[in-house]
Amino acid sequence: MIDFEYVSKFYEGDREALFEVNFRLAPGEMAFLTGHSGAGKSTLLRLLLGLETASSGAVRVAGTNLADLSGEKLARYRRRVGVVFQDPNLEEDLTVFDNVALPLRISGFSESDIPRRVMAALSRVDLSEQALVSPKLLSGGQQQRVGIARAIVHRPALLIADEPTGNLDPELSARVMRMFTQFQQLGVTILVATHERAVVESLPFRRLVIERGRLISDGLGSKR
Amino acid sequence: MNRWLSDHRWAIADALKRVRERPIQFLVLVGLLSILLAIPGWLAQIWLGMSSLVPEEAVHSEAIVFLSNEIEFEERIELERMLGESPIVEHVIFIPKSKALADLSSSDGLAPLTQLADDNPLPDALQLRFVFSPDSGVSELSLVERIEFDPRVLSLRYYPSTRIQYGSMLEVLAFFGAGFSMLTILGVLMTVFLVSAADVVDDSKRIKLYTLLGASSRYIQRPYLYRATFLGIFAGFQACLAVIGLNALLSEVVINNLEELDSRLGSIPLDTRILLGIVMVSVASSWIGAERAMNQRLKGLH
Repeated sequence: MIDFEYVSKFYEGDREALFEVNFRLAPGEMAFLTGHSGAGKSTLLRLLLGLETASSGAVRVAGTNLADLSGEKLARYRRRVGVVFQDPNLEEDLTVFDNVALPLRISGFSESDIPRRVMAALSRVDLSEQALVSPKLLSGGQQQRVGIARAIVHRPALLIADEPTGNLDPELSARVMRMFTQFQQLGVTILVATHERAVVESLPFRRLVIERGRLISDGLGSKR
Repeated sequence: MNRWLSDHRWAIADALKRVRERPIQFLVLVGLLSILLAIPGWLAQIWLGMSSLVPEEAVHSEAIVFLSNEIEFEERIELERMLGESPIVEHVIFIPKSKALADLSSSDGLAPLTQLADDNPLPDALQLRFVFSPDSGVSELSLVERIEFDPRVLSLRYYPSTRIQYGSMLEVLAFFGAGFSMLTILGVLMTVFLVSAADVVDDSKRIKLYTLLGASSRYIQRPYLYRATFLGIFAGFQACLAVIGLNALLSEVVINNLEELDSRLGSIPLDTRILLGIVMVSVASSWIGAERAMNQRLKGLH
């Protein structure tokens, strides 16, 4: 599903953000991307989302080199990816329903199809009852779940999460991770970037450890 | 088609939401743009009004063509014939230098000058009277220029009619009016550009989110472009109202005096082309300003 082929990324002044990062994530696989702040996790995710292009090497998703995509093709690729942010990034002037419906509207789903899909996504994160309220009225954990519902509502084949539990307490973090595990069991490929050791060590998934832009470890973790 | 409709419906709803969110900003912008647009519109209205008032009964242009002393009789006849055939020349009258000297003596009371008859210093001349013929394709000025450089001609005095003088004045006014209008249209464009650019900065978080969710640049731009279009429509209509109001005010203030000068000046007609032009320019410049800003800022954001 995801192929990083000796990917390096340099910024202006030859500042090295990633250096020859090489790994492959099979379809339906879930992995953690860990490392300290500034290690290169965000750069890697930006490359995976097509927000930047690699200085050398290739980033391929489902066989497509992202460097070959631009404009409408790149937008179409992003419509097949679900993204969960540390800050759920919800639009406060829209209801929970409309926030979750955003990817569907952007992807051009018919209005008659949208309510069914949105309610299905909200029920997966146990927020069906809150569909018509403003996100402002929800707790931080609920807002994060709305963000997750928005990321899965269009049934993406790939889910990318950037510090999804960064603002949550341990109990809510565990709940979010359980959701990701369920999605993975449904065949979604998931890459979770986090620097929270507790979260990573609580689940038996592959860990990609990145440090100073280099992939220093790639292996399976074991549940404690 | 359904996708297209639903995308545009969503964009229009979003644009209206933006207008509702910042009504004061929208109204101030409408006011500012309408002032900028009303000025050239009003100038154009005055200019068109003036153009329609070209005096019909104006004095015709005349020219006195002084002939070279060396000119032969046949050459003079040929020149007279050539000038007489021009569609803008009403008639050509030959004034021999003896008559010119006699006229000069009698009109100025310089009787002794007749004594110079044997040694007359004045040249023979042709008096041209022009006729207004806009469809002929020949202008008085071009004919005058041609005569001036004719080797048979010593010199030429041209007395343009009030119509020509008025026309020249209108040309100058049109030139400055067009320049000023361009500046104000540029002002509209820049205002919308800056406002849209500021919107992109304000909404950068939202735009980044939409980008990550797979929205194309066009999808992201659409609500802003619709808002700019609404802005252009409202500003255009308000500018039209301002022009209509100014026209009514001017009519009331000066109409009585003008009517005494010329009965045709009893009313100042409003030209609908100007009103239509104001709305079109308003919408087009607002749209272009927003589109440029969005393109530039979105590139920077991505």
